[in-house]
Formats: sequence, C-alpha cells, structure tokens
Amino acid sequence: MDVKESNTGSQTVIRIFYALVTLAVGCGLAFFVYGNVTNEDAKFPFKLGLDLAGGSHLIYEADVSGIAPEDVPELMNVLRDVIERRINVFGVSEPIVRVESSSFVSSERAERLVVELPGVTDVAEAVAEIGKTPLLEFRLLVSADSDGNPTYADTGLTGRYLESAQLQFVGQSGQGGLSNEPIVAIAFNDEGAKLFEEITRENVGETLAIFLDGALISAPRINEAIMGGEAVISGNFEPDEARDLAENLNFGALPVPISLVSTQTIDATLGVGVIEQSYIAGIIGFALIASFLILWYRLPGFVAGVALLIYVLVNLAVFMIVPVTLTAAGLAGFVLSLGMAVDANVLVFERMKEEYRAGRKSRAAADEGFRRAWSAIRDGNITGLISAVILFWFGTAMIKGFALVLGIGIIVSVLSAILITRTLLRALPDVASESSGFWSFLFGCGLGKR
Amino acid sequence: MFIITHRKLFLAIGAFIVIVSAIITLTFGLKLGIDFTGGSLTEVGYSTLPEKALIENALLALELGHFDVRQSHGELGDSYIITGKTLSVEEQQTLETALATLSDDAKVIRNTSVGPVIGEELKDKAIWALGAVLIMIILYVALAFIGVGYPVSSWVYGSMTVLVLFHDILVPLALMSLLGYFLGYEVDVLFVTALLTILGYSVNDTIVIFDRVREKLKEFRIEKRTKVKVPGGLDREVVTYTLTRSFAEIVGIAVRDTMARSINTSLTVLLALLALYLFGSVVTQTFIIILIAGVVAGAYSSIFIASPLLVWYADWKSKKENPA
Repeated sequence: MDVKESNTGSQTVIRIFYALVTLAVGCGLAFFVYGNVTNEDAKFPFKLGLDLAGGSHLIYEADVSGIAPEDVPELMNVLRDVIERRINVFGVSEPIVRVESSSFVSSERAERLVVELPGVTDVAEAVAEIGKTPLLEFRLLVSADSDGNPTYADTGLTGRYLESAQLQFVGQSGQGGLSNEPIVAIAFNDEGAKLFEEITRENVGETLAIFLDGALISAPRINEAIMGGEAVISGNFEPDEARDLAENLNFGALPVPISLVSTQTIDATLGVGVIEQSYIAGIIGFALIASFLILWYRLPGFVAGVALLIYVLVNLAVFMIVPVTLTAAGLAGFVLSLGMAVDANVLVFERMKEEYRAGRKSRAAADEGFRRAWSAIRDGNITGLISAVILFWFGTAMIKGFALVLGIGIIVSVLSAILITRTLLRALPDVASESSGFWSFLFGCGLGKR
Repeated sequence: MFIITHRKLFLAIGAFIVIVSAIITLTFGLKLGIDFTGGSLTEVGYSTLPEKALIENALLALELGHFDVRQSHGELGDSYIITGKTLSVEEQQTLETALATLSDDAKVIRNTSVGPVIGEELKDKAIWALGAVLIMIILYVALAFIGVGYPVSSWVYGSMTVLVLFHDILVPLALMSLLGYFLGYEVDVLFVTALLTILGYSVNDTIVIFDRVREKLKEFRIEKRTKVKVPGGLDREVVTYTLTRSFAEIVGIAVRDTMARSINTSLTVLLALLALYLFGSVVTQTFIIILIAGVVAGAYSSIFIASPLLVWYADWKSKKENPA
C-alpha cells in the first residue's frame, strides 16, 4: 500500500471501521465471559481441575501379562467401560475414567486406568466401591503338579464377554425339594458364546474351572459342547452372596485383574483460596504491565494494553469453550503469560521506534515495524510452542492443563499482536516524526532523545 | 558495544556462575519428592497445632515405617505435612484416624500416595522431556538460521542457544538444591514444569538477538558470485561473502539494538511473576520462585553470554583456519 493511497479520507474511515469492529468483538467477548462466570448454570463454565475443585485421583494398573499385545487396547476399553458404569452407580458428577499407557521411554510396558472423582474425598469408600467389580475367569484344569496341586490354563474366556447375570434357585436332587441352592446364571454375548462353545467342544471330559477374583469357585466337568452361551456359577453360595454377585456381574466384570498403585485426595476448600488469589494476582499483574507499557511506549503502549485486555478475554473464552481444565499451576501460567504476551508488541514497538526516529511517519513506521519484527516473533514463539507441546506430553493431568494454557497463550498472543494491535494502531492519525506537539509526544517512546 | 568489547569479562562471569551453580547442585543435591521416589504425603490442618512430638509419637505407634513431619503454612493456615512410604488405602485410613484423635478439628487437606513404579517412570519422562526440548530447539534454530552460513554455520547458532540454556537451567537447579538442603523443599512435577517453561522462554530471548544478528549480517555483507569450472564441463556458481564490518562489530550492533526489547520483555514477565509471588497462591509459590530465578538467569545469559559466545567462537574458528 503506498503512501498516497493511505492518506485518502475513505481509507481512514475504513481503518477506523476495522478498529471499531475489533473493539466490538472485544466487548462481545467480555459479555460472553462475564455471562458464563456469573451465571450459575452457564453453558460454558470454567472447568476446574481436581486440585481446585477437590476430589480423588486414583491410578490402577492392569495386569495384561497374559494378553496378546494386539488385544490390549480393546481390553482396556472394556475395562474402562466397566469401571465407568460402576462409578456412575454411586453418583459422582462428571467422573473421568481414562486409559493411560506408560510412555515409550519407560523400561516396562504398563497399562493404567486413571480415575478422577471430583468432589469425592472419601477415597476409601470410592476404592471399595470400585473394588466390588468382580473379576471372572474360566480356566481349564491342566494337570496336578508334583505336590498334587492342580494347575489351570487360561482360556481367554473372561468377564469381558458377559452379557447378563441372574440369581436362580435350583433344587438339589436327593436332598429333598425344600433345599434350594442359590446359583448365578450367566449369559455370554455372541462372541463369548462362540468362544464358550469352542472351548467346551474341544475339551469334553475336561474340567472347566470358574474363578472369581482369583479364587476357585467351582470346577465342573464338561460333559458336552454347550451352545447358546449360557453357564451357571454354583459354589455353595449364601443367598445374599449370590444376589450380590449377580448384581455386581450385571454392572460388568473385569476383563483383567487391576491393582491400585496411586491415590490422591484434595480437599475442596483448598481451591477456593487459590482461585481468589490468582484472580487478584492477575489483576495486579495486568495493571503493572499495562502501566509499564503506557509509561514507556505512550500511545502505542495504551493500544498494547487494550490488545492485552482482549488477549485475556480471548483466552478465557477459549478456556471455557475447549474446555481447558484449570489447575493451580494453570492459573499461575495464565498470569505469567500476560507478561510474555506483550513480548510480540514490545518487539514491534521497538522496531517502530527505530523507524520513526529514522524519519518515517508513524503509520509507515508501524507497518515496517510489523514487517521486520515478524521473523523474531515467529522464531521466538515456535520454540516456546515446542516446549509447551513437550510439556503436554510429559505432564500428569495437572501439568497438561498448564501446558495447554501456555500453548494457547502463545498462539493467541501472536494473533493479538499482529491482528488487534496492528488494526488499532492503523486507526490512529499518521504523525510525522519531525513534527512536535501532542501527537508527536504520544508516539515518541522510551527515554532519551527522539 | 561494551558487551562485545569486554566479552572475555562477561564470558568469565558466565562461566563463574555456571561453575558455582554446578558445584552447589552437586554438593547439596536435589531432594526428590514423592512424585519421583514414590511414597505418601498427607497434609493435615488443625486450628491449634498440636506439638510436633505428639504427632511423631502417634505416627510411631502405627508401625507404618518412618514418617517425616514438617510444619507448613499452607493455603488454609498452619498444617503439618507428613511424608512416608507408599500407603495402601487402609493404611492411609489408619493414619488419618490416628491424626484425628489428636484433636477434634483435624482436617486432612490433601493426601497423595504414589507407587514407586509411577515415580520412577515420571523421572525417566522428565529427563526425556528436558532432552527432547533441547534437541528440538537446536534443530529449529539451525533450520531457521539456515540462510546465514557465514561466518559461522547455522548449527552454531542452535548449539550456542542450547549452551546458554544450560546456564539458565543450572541457576534454578542450584537454587532448588539450596532450598532443599536448608528448608527441606522437595522437587516435584511443578519444578520440572518450571524448568521446561524456562527453557521455552529463555530461548526466545536469545533467538531475538540472533535474529537481529542474522538481519545485520545480510545488511553488512557484499555478495560475490563467481563461476567455477567443474570437471565435466558444467559451470557452477560459487557465492562468497565479505563483511564490510567485523563480525564482532555486527553482533555488537545487534545486541545494542535489541537491548531495550530484551530488558522490557524480561521486565513485563518479572512484573507478572512478582504479582504472582506477592498476591498469588501459596500452592504455587516455590514454582514462582524457580521461574523468577530462571527468567533473571535467562535475561542475563541472552544479553551477556549468548552473543559474546558467538563472537568468541567465530574468532576461534578464524584463528584455526588462518593461523597467521
């Protein structure tokens, strides 16, 4: 764009129009954020991490040693669904259950199940409830070892193929009609039924043992191939025992054994103070940074302050919409990002100052400032993004929040500098550096001679 | 530019800081927290704190191994932080019941129990993450500076950036060792997060100065293209550059021109950190202290170490190539 064109009246109107649109978008964002913060049942509330909202964090390790590697992912998904169903029973709002594999850098492969229970601080009760999920396995009796202890072989048929379970009473022949024995009748799904049929057909005459939570319940002999996918668990149950088992099996059975390796509980009161203090620190940090910008860069500094305010709003809106799980570290990271976000502006303004002092008019100086500062902004921020991405990979759930805040902050800050600051600066009058007076003072910056 | 003319002095100061920090870190060592070692941590608050000895005796009676008890001023007032071996859920309950009997208003603010495997894995991951960031930065900077092969190769810019990062990392490491040795601060996941953040931030500072060097080099060089006959009959064009000013001078100009920006950006970041330290949450206070140390070290190193190092390397290289 050449100088002559940029001086025409219509161009100026367009520039001011763009600036007003930018400001209007800013106001819209402010309205959106304010509405979501103040409204109790907002559509996009902030999502608070466990350290702020309080709750429990459990890590289970799944024993997948006997499973073919290619089956592991599906099995872990089954496991997740079962545990999720189990947790939904005791009414936790928005629980998170997710599968996590140990990273490629660790020496041992491990499959884990991470369970987050917001608001639950009685971890013992939660663990007990999850622990009620039965582990059901069908194993074939192979032979007795030298000591006469029987050994069993996995058949691959486990609780994962279970469709339903039902409590039944059967009369035992020879003991009179009144003596009813409680049993649990189970039905496999299609896949399980096929597997069950295969196992029973190939092993007629063998013993198929049923294990519940690792303990032998019963060891019936296979008389013939069983079709239709129905089986019975009978093991001298008390009626109550059998009823509980049937109930628990209906929520699903564990496909693999799991063990608890890590627990964390945080009281909800901890978060309230953290949020309030981060809020205050954020406001004070913003005020300090904005004052500094205005003192040093004067009018462009004020523009950068406005851009920073919009930066805050855009970030908050993104946190709400994505949503980003906010943690104590994440909030600190956001306040920190205020200081970093102005960097792109500072780079441009310093360049602009050089151009302005060298004799360009303010608008041309600004354009040149943006053009020449771009490579530094790009290279500096890409390296910042690299560490944010690696942080995200490294991090536990709490750190992932921080990394996400940092990464979003970097992207938004670059956009805010090249879109918002530039649009607003262009709407300002074009001032020649040799002129003196009010406007010239506003565009001069820093200490020392102009 | 005085920083370049007195580069030996500034490099010596930088080397001194690095050596002292390394000695401090190695002497006092980092105190790894349960995030990395595995173990349990329970923070319990009382409205009036019972005697520490009382707590310790109560814990001893549980026979759950040795516990460390440390008084802390947390988010919710005074509390004790109790660390020990990894506890099962039942053991944790036993512990909490014992703590509750000491006073009616005992409140468990948080408890964590980390299995040793998880800790070990996180430690591996932390080291990999730090290494990966360093390698990615060398690669990126080398790529970004690929057009400026003269007088030093673009790999040198990348390597120098990373060399400087060691300085920026060693300073917070030394600080953490001191805090750990004298005040019992433990290295947790947040500390590693702080280090990774410092890496990303500090490299930005150095890159901006190198970016200006890149620009000034293009400004102050004369390009000469000559056709060279290569065996086989084809002509090959060889581009040679001559600098109209010495490399040291050019780097000096770049440092001078970016000085205001370097100081201002570090200042705004420090203002944000200061607000967080003074008004922010206690939970993240150590994290903020480490970040402040890293940002200050990063600001110093990018101005006073990175560029002098670049000139020093170019000198050394030209002396090696033309030993006259």
